[in-house]
Amino acid sequence: MKYVIRALLYLVLVAPLALFIVYSFTEGWFFPAPFPSEWTTTTFQRAMDDPRTLGGMWQGFVIAVIVSLLSLILAFPAARALGLRQFRGRQIAWLVLFLPTVVPPLAIGMGLNILFLRVGLAGTIMGVSLAHLISTLPYTVFTLSSAFARYDENYEHQALALGASPAQIFFNITLRMMTPSLVVATLFAFLVSWSQYLLTLLIGGGKIITLPVLLFTAASGGNPSTIAIKSLLFILPPALVIAFTARELNRHGNDIREQY
Amino acid sequence: MLKDFSLSINDGEMVTLLGPSGSGKSTVLKLIAGIEQLDNGDIRFDGESILQTEPNKRGAVLMFQKSYLFPFLNVEENIGFGLKMQGVAPSVIQGEVKRMLSLIGLPGIEKRKVGQLSGGEGQRVALARALVTQPKLLMLDEPLSSLDTSVRMNLQAAIRDIQRELGITTIFVTHDLSEAMAMSDRMAILLDGEVTAYDKPETLFHRPPCVRSAKFVGVDLFLEGEASGGWLDAADVGRVRLNDESKVGRSVFAIRPEHIRIQKEETENSLAGVVQSCLFRGEALEVQVRLGELTTRVRLPMPAPMFAHGENVFVQLPAEYLFEVAA
Repeated sequence: MKYVIRALLYLVLVAPLALFIVYSFTEGWFFPAPFPSEWTTTTFQRAMDDPRTLGGMWQGFVIAVIVSLLSLILAFPAARALGLRQFRGRQIAWLVLFLPTVVPPLAIGMGLNILFLRVGLAGTIMGVSLAHLISTLPYTVFTLSSAFARYDENYEHQALALGASPAQIFFNITLRMMTPSLVVATLFAFLVSWSQYLLTLLIGGGKIITLPVLLFTAASGGNPSTIAIKSLLFILPPALVIAFTARELNRHGNDIREQY
Repeated sequence: MLKDFSLSINDGEMVTLLGPSGSGKSTVLKLIAGIEQLDNGDIRFDGESILQTEPNKRGAVLMFQKSYLFPFLNVEENIGFGLKMQGVAPSVIQGEVKRMLSLIGLPGIEKRKVGQLSGGEGQRVALARALVTQPKLLMLDEPLSSLDTSVRMNLQAAIRDIQRELGITTIFVTHDLSEAMAMSDRMAILLDGEVTAYDKPETLFHRPPCVRSAKFVGVDLFLEGEASGGWLDAADVGRVRLNDESKVGRSVFAIRPEHIRIQKEETENSLAGVVQSCLFRGEALEVQVRLGELTTRVRLPMPAPMFAHGENVFVQLPAEYLFEVAA
C-alpha cells in the first residue's frame, strides 16, 4: 500500500513533465487522438533558433545571479542582527522585511516603475534586479536569520582568543559555519528571481525579456508545443541548481551532525 | 558585573578565580581576551596597558568549558589555526602541531576528525590549540566542568604538569573548590564581582579572612561575641575559650567542620546540641547538629560511630582551631 501511494505521488509530480517532453517533440496532437501522430524536432528547432529564447534565458540568468549576490550581501548583516541580537524595534524590522511577501507585487511594481523611470533605472538589467530584490530578501533574511538563531558566537570568540583578526574570523569561521545556510539562501534568491514575471515585465518595460516573460506570451498564444518547450527550458536551470546543491547540502549536513 | 576588582599575577604563576556562577569570573577572562569591553579600569601586562592593543595581538589565549574545536577542520588544522592566522609557514606549523600533540599525550591523531574525539580528548586538543602560539597568558574558563570525574582528575594533573613545564602564566576559572585548590599557586575567591580573598590555597582553606570567603570554602560555624582575656562571650552559645588571650572587643570566630569533635560528655569548649541528620560520605561522616539557635555541620573522619536523629551530644570546639574572621 505504501508503495502504491508513493508511486502515485511520483506519478502526479512527473506526469506534467512527461507530457511537456512529449508535446515538445510533436506537432498537431489534438483530442481525441490517443497518441501523437507525428514525432518531429521542428518546433524545438524553431524555439531554439528564435534569438529571444536563448537571449531571455541568458538575461534571466544574469539577473538571477546579480539578485542572489545582492540578496546575500544585504541579508547577511540583517539576518545576523535579527537572529543573534535583542534590540528595540526588532519586531518592526521583521515586519518591514516580510512586508513584500504579503503586499501584491503589482502594487510594488507600479510604484517602483514610476520611481525607476525618473532615475533612469526602468528598462535596465540593474533596475529589474533591484526590483527582484524586494521579492527575494524576505526568503534570504528568513533562511539566514534562523541559521543565526542557532549559531554559537563562541566559535568566533574562540577564534579571536586564538589570535585571529576580525577579517580572518569572518572568512575562516563565520562563512565556513554558515555555508549550508548560505547555499540554501542563494538557492531561494536564484529561484525566486528566475521565475519572477510581473516585476520583470513592469520594470523591464519590454526591453528586458526573460524566459518567464516569453513563457507567458506563449501561454496566451495557445500553441501547446511552444508552451511545453519553454516550460522545459524554464525548469532546466533550477533543476540543475537543486541537483547540485542537494549533494553539497547533504555533505554539509553530515559534517554538522557528526558534531552532536 | 565586576566592582572593585583588582588582582595581580606573577610571571609563570597559576592563579585560580574561584566563585559561584554569576560572580563575574568569566567576565574577567573575556575582558582580558577582548571579547567584552571594559567600562573603566585598566588591564596591564608587564606594567603596560593592553586596552589599546587589538584583541588578537594581546598574546592572551582563552579556552572555554566546551572545546569549540572548529567542526570543519581536523585535529591538525585546529591546533595549527592560531599559527596559520599569524602567517606561519605550513611546514613549521606541522612540526609545532606534532610537538603539541605529544605534549598533551595524544601523538599521531593529526588527521582525526573533531567529531571522533571524546570529551577529554577534545579538551586536550583545545589546550594544544591554545598553547601552540606560545601566548604570554593562558586563560582557562571551567575547561573541565563538563567532563566525567575520572577524566577530569587526569586532566587536572595533566594541565598542571604542562603549565609547570612551560612556565606559562595561567588564570584558571572554576566554581569547584577542590579543583581550585589542586590546580593553583594562588587562588582568588570572587563573590558578586568582588575579590574577597586572594592567597595560597592552604591558607585560604584553613584561615579564610572573612565570613563570606569562609562560607565559600566550607566553614559554617561562626561565633560572634565580645572577646576578652582569652574568652569569647558568644551571644548564641555561651562562653568559649580562645587561644589568643590578647584579643579584646567585638569579634567573629570560626572553625572548620573537620576540626569540630562530637562527644557524649561535657568538657572544655563543648556545647550541648541535638543531632539533626547523619550522612555517610565515604571518606567522612557528615553530621548536622543544632546548637540552640545555630546549626552546624561536623565532618568526622572515618571510622566514626553513626549518630541517631534527635540524639543529645556535646560538640567540642578545640581552642587551637578557632580562628578570627572579619565580619
